[in-house]
Amino acid sequence: MVGLSEGEKEFIKGGIAQDLRSDGRKRYTYRPIYVETGVIPQANGSARVRLGATDVIASVKAELGKPSALQPDKGKVALFIDCSPTAEPTFEGRGGEELSAELSSALQRCLLGSKSGAGAGIDLSSLIVVEGKVCWDLYIDGLVISSDGNLLDALGAAIKAALSNTGIPTVHVVAGASNDEQPEVDISDEEFLHFDTSGVPVIVTLTKVGKHYIVDATSEEESQMSSAVSISINRQGHICGMTKRGGSGIDPSVILDMISVANFVSRQLIEKLDSEISAAEANEEDS
Amino acid sequence: MEFVSPEGLRLDGRRPTEMRQLRAEIGVVSKADGSAMFEMGNTKVIAAVYGPREVQNKGQQINNDHALVRCEYSMANFSTGDRVRKPKGDRRSIEISLVIRQTMEACIMTHLMPRSQIDIFVQVLQADGGTRSACINAATLALADAGIPMCDLVTSCSAGYLNSTPLLDLNYIEDSAGGADVTVGILPTLDKVTLLQMDAKLPTNIFEDVMQLATEGCKAIANYIREMLAENTKQLEFRRDS
Repeated sequence: MVGLSEGEKEFIKGGIAQDLRSDGRKRYTYRPIYVETGVIPQANGSARVRLGATDVIASVKAELGKPSALQPDKGKVALFIDCSPTAEPTFEGRGGEELSAELSSALQRCLLGSKSGAGAGIDLSSLIVVEGKVCWDLYIDGLVISSDGNLLDALGAAIKAALSNTGIPTVHVVAGASNDEQPEVDISDEEFLHFDTSGVPVIVTLTKVGKHYIVDATSEEESQMSSAVSISINRQGHICGMTKRGGSGIDPSVILDMISVANFVSRQLIEKLDSEISAAEANEEDS
Repeated sequence: MEFVSPEGLRLDGRRPTEMRQLRAEIGVVSKADGSAMFEMGNTKVIAAVYGPREVQNKGQQINNDHALVRCEYSMANFSTGDRVRKPKGDRRSIEISLVIRQTMEACIMTHLMPRSQIDIFVQVLQADGGTRSACINAATLALADAGIPMCDLVTSCSAGYLNSTPLLDLNYIEDSAGGADVTVGILPTLDKVTLLQMDAKLPTNIFEDVMQLATEGCKAIANYIREMLAENTKQLEFRRDS
């Protein structure tokens, strides 16, 4: 909950109109982003992303499972987000559930593509071990530790970093099993496969305050928003998913405008994130 | 199963009376009034304190002359070895929330803050045995960081008894081995016990040894926490002066 006086509200709105926000940023500038990988040793991959005072952790766990009958040639990915009450006292008990569900479904839309798995940032067919019999189930868990706005972008970045940190053990199928039986598999402890995460999109949320829209809004700025559009864009500049939140409507032409801005911003974000992720991975190997 | 090798080493290479490596960080959640991260080996928890502030739900206020202390314990989905999705508010979490609340209430000078509320939220990031001890230690640091008046620091540590040897600070494997597990929380300066829990059974004379060991552990943690707080205060002072 953000309590603001009339004066503060005017200050935030006026600043955005003049392209100078309360923390000195311009409308399309992100806060400094920090990435730390391998924070949860028990997971196959994990990352912590800090964006100003927003702090999130994402972890990826892989378990062997059975592919669904409808898509025997694809693995499964499940995504869950949890909002810890440490971030906001109102998340206590079941208080954070609504926001958690909203974030989970928005991320699912942005990162995992449609129901059939088409357009997913992760190549689901790379998760298959034996077609129709054994596949990897990926569980992506996000946890919000501290929230100061723009949770969706931070979570998207954390998941991207966690996925590039993920090592899936290589699996050898024991030969000789007949067609009907569940094949026996041998999981390697030493060899790991890394994902190709170059196709995982980033999420850029544009928050409309007054006549203008901004990226990476803080919670004070979010409290003044009329609506927000989250656009996930991959390296090629393709739109992978979109979500609109907030009460008021947006003119269709403005949405197109927003997309081109998001496209421009996403290129910088991907570049920044890539260099942060590789720096974090190098750091982890050193220690 | 052998938990102490003939050379006197435990599964993770520690001596029986050796604690896991401690690590703490103050001020990890910038939006909270006070926060801390506490690590005991692979167990890693974050505590955040909000308050003292106005009582949010007037119905919960029982005693007008004292502050209302509330606590919630939650575990991250990825905190355990096997991923399990637990619903919020299962019995174990409720029990631990209650234990932490009662332990912290013992040290907070609630009579100084009437008609106000203090919220303590603990979040387990990694669980490898001794989560309740780690949570209490993190909560103490977070309360101190929030500047809440306390009569002493509460610290907690566990000890167990396996292969006829008292062991300090059990990890998950030792904890689930079925031996006795004594969790102690003390007020180190006042020399009082505020938390005592034990499962399984022990002869009285051995219990004395195990509890003594756990108390020693608490005192060691208290020294570490005091050092951390002194260091943090020095840094704050330095920042104020510069």
